[in-house]
Amino acid sequence: MPQGTHIVEVPLNINTIWEFVHDMNNWAPLVPGYINHEILSESQSTWAFKGDLGFMKKTVKLKIDIKEWNEPKEVIFDLSGLSDNFNGGGYFLAEPIDEEHTKMTGHLDITAGGMMGAMVNQILTNFVPETAQELTDNIVKKLLEINLVK
Amino acid sequence: MIIKLMIVTLSKERKGDDFLFDTGSIQWDKEVDVIVLGSGGAALTAAVAAAENGANVLVLEKTHQIGGTTAYSGGVPWIPLNHYMKEAGFEDNREDAITFIKRLSLGRADDHMIETFVDKGHEIIKFLHDNTPVKFTTPLSYPEYYKRMDEALKNGTRSLDPAPFDLNEIGEWGALLRQNPIFPPLTLEEGGAVGGIDFQLVAERMQKNIVTMGRSLVASLFKACLDRGVETLIETAGKDLVINNDGQVIGVVAETKDGEILHFAASKGVILASGGFEWNKQLIKAFLKAEITHPVTPPGNEGDALMMAMKAGAALANMSEAWWYPAMVDPTFEYEDHVMAQLGSGRNGPNSIIVNKYGRRFVHEGTTYNDMPRSFFNFDPVKMEFPNEAPVWLIFDQQLKDSQLIITMMPGDPAPEWVDQADSIRALAEKIGVDPDGLEDEIRKWNEYCEQGEDPDFHRGTIQFEALTTGGGSPENNLGKIEKGPFYALPIYLGALGTNGGPKINENGQVVDFKGEPIKGLYAAGNASANPLGPIYPSAGGTIGPAMVFGFLAGQHAANLAEQPAVNY
Repeated sequence: MPQGTHIVEVPLNINTIWEFVHDMNNWAPLVPGYINHEILSESQSTWAFKGDLGFMKKTVKLKIDIKEWNEPKEVIFDLSGLSDNFNGGGYFLAEPIDEEHTKMTGHLDITAGGMMGAMVNQILTNFVPETAQELTDNIVKKLLEINLVK
Repeated sequence: MIIKLMIVTLSKERKGDDFLFDTGSIQWDKEVDVIVLGSGGAALTAAVAAAENGANVLVLEKTHQIGGTTAYSGGVPWIPLNHYMKEAGFEDNREDAITFIKRLSLGRADDHMIETFVDKGHEIIKFLHDNTPVKFTTPLSYPEYYKRMDEALKNGTRSLDPAPFDLNEIGEWGALLRQNPIFPPLTLEEGGAVGGIDFQLVAERMQKNIVTMGRSLVASLFKACLDRGVETLIETAGKDLVINNDGQVIGVVAETKDGEILHFAASKGVILASGGFEWNKQLIKAFLKAEITHPVTPPGNEGDALMMAMKAGAALANMSEAWWYPAMVDPTFEYEDHVMAQLGSGRNGPNSIIVNKYGRRFVHEGTTYNDMPRSFFNFDPVKMEFPNEAPVWLIFDQQLKDSQLIITMMPGDPAPEWVDQADSIRALAEKIGVDPDGLEDEIRKWNEYCEQGEDPDFHRGTIQFEALTTGGGSPENNLGKIEKGPFYALPIYLGALGTNGGPKINENGQVVDFKGEPIKGLYAAGNASANPLGPIYPSAGGTIGPAMVFGFLAGQHAANLAEQPAVNY
């Protein structure tokens, strides 16, 4: 199963991070290759983004189902392909180090199904961890940007 | 700063034509025997041949990846009389091969070039087999495209299938080998080009860095170059030829991606092998019969070699021709910032036809990919239009959808939103802007033909290519009614596997001028030259076969020249 986990220490309080992460509209555009997203309900949304697979780019549409909002530390979600045959999930986990520092973990796993599954999963082997890292880093960068402005 | 001053000096000392230089003033950045522009099949075969014959060789590649159009392709050379055929038990002979090529070329190729190709090709393949890591197999289940023509080879194939190659063999260069999003890492024989794919094997090959088809051919040729000390610079585009006052090509002005201008001297020759011009809109408009809107090639093929050759006074040939392809598109795939043209599929199957904007069939849908788009250029002198101008439409029903991979749609998967579909033929026609009366009438007629088991209009079910690996066309294989909704439509665009016109070459790969005289020091091969066999695509490997053969001959000839006496630096 292609998956990736990225951990980074953020010089911000956990509640500051939660304030940003709990609203999907804040970080959806930070997904690598983001095209658009639509919030369907408090727990459901659809996303379109262009994944850079290295040798080509692929536009995919997927649905996100939030399984758990555990304020202020955790968002757990499932994802499923609308345009292509894949499923997976992920989470953001924030753990306080002290009042001003938080350990943030981003995790993503995606598994392709169908006849081409074995081949697509091989292609995703690098893509998924790179995306997990880039998304987590993008969120941290944005958080720092916003809080520096404040 | 030094380089800038040098350019100013050059521009002041231009004499007559703007490409002539006082070579005495050039400060060369590097001096070698042979420079090869490009890094595809023609280029690397030329480099191997030149180096094998003792030349110090420099390869300049414009893009950030090595491999050119070949790496992006099936990598199959078509070579008559090759020894792999013999080992597989297939008979071939010289006269049959020559007769067949002449039949296809319709008098538009020089006999001695055809003979050179037939006589030298198999020797070159044997040389590569014996002396380099370049190995092939005979794809036993992949027959000749024109097998049912009287002049064609009936038993066996002249195509060669690159053997799987371990990319780790070329070290860090492996990461710079052009990616091939068209073909999975399977051989032709394993179904790499025709379906029936073992996706588990694909995954294993990807994991182990084993490449096949075009990537295998390039990687193995590149290893042969590395073994012979050939130097390669990527992101270094040949921009201009340096020609001395005697009209002799003595070097190349190149430009790096950062804009740095470099001057490379070539004491024995410059070989243009940097691809065709299918990505250059201006050149397409100037030379071709219609715009290639969807090249099935890497975007670097912008006619650099053609323009350099024209400036040097080369005779041109075959300029209105390309290796045509009826391209299709899954718009969710992009390659190097362009929506990727795909080879598509479905047009050979039953339960489908191809129609023009009037809803009318106009061609045998299952003819070879090089031949089928030629029908796009038919001119109606009454209506004053090209009625079959692309895009034309593949119309098919649920039966085909359920039974074949079509572009990227697997059988059984729901149709993606980019495929037009409707519950009736009329509604489908209206949706895609095709004459509904014409389309309804055409499908009624097609379904009648299917009942009769014969297509008197265009003879579907009669040629080899339309059921290439399953015994050839037949009413059973290729005639199937369009009757089960929903009905689908996909646009087919004018694509190409490259252009095949360019500077005319002789039997040594030397570029000739309008008097037929070689331009001293200038060679061309592959899509950077006019195809020496004329506007033909004899079977799988019709592009790469002549590219490798005349690339090799060019490299060999250049290397064996005495250092050119007129070179003055």
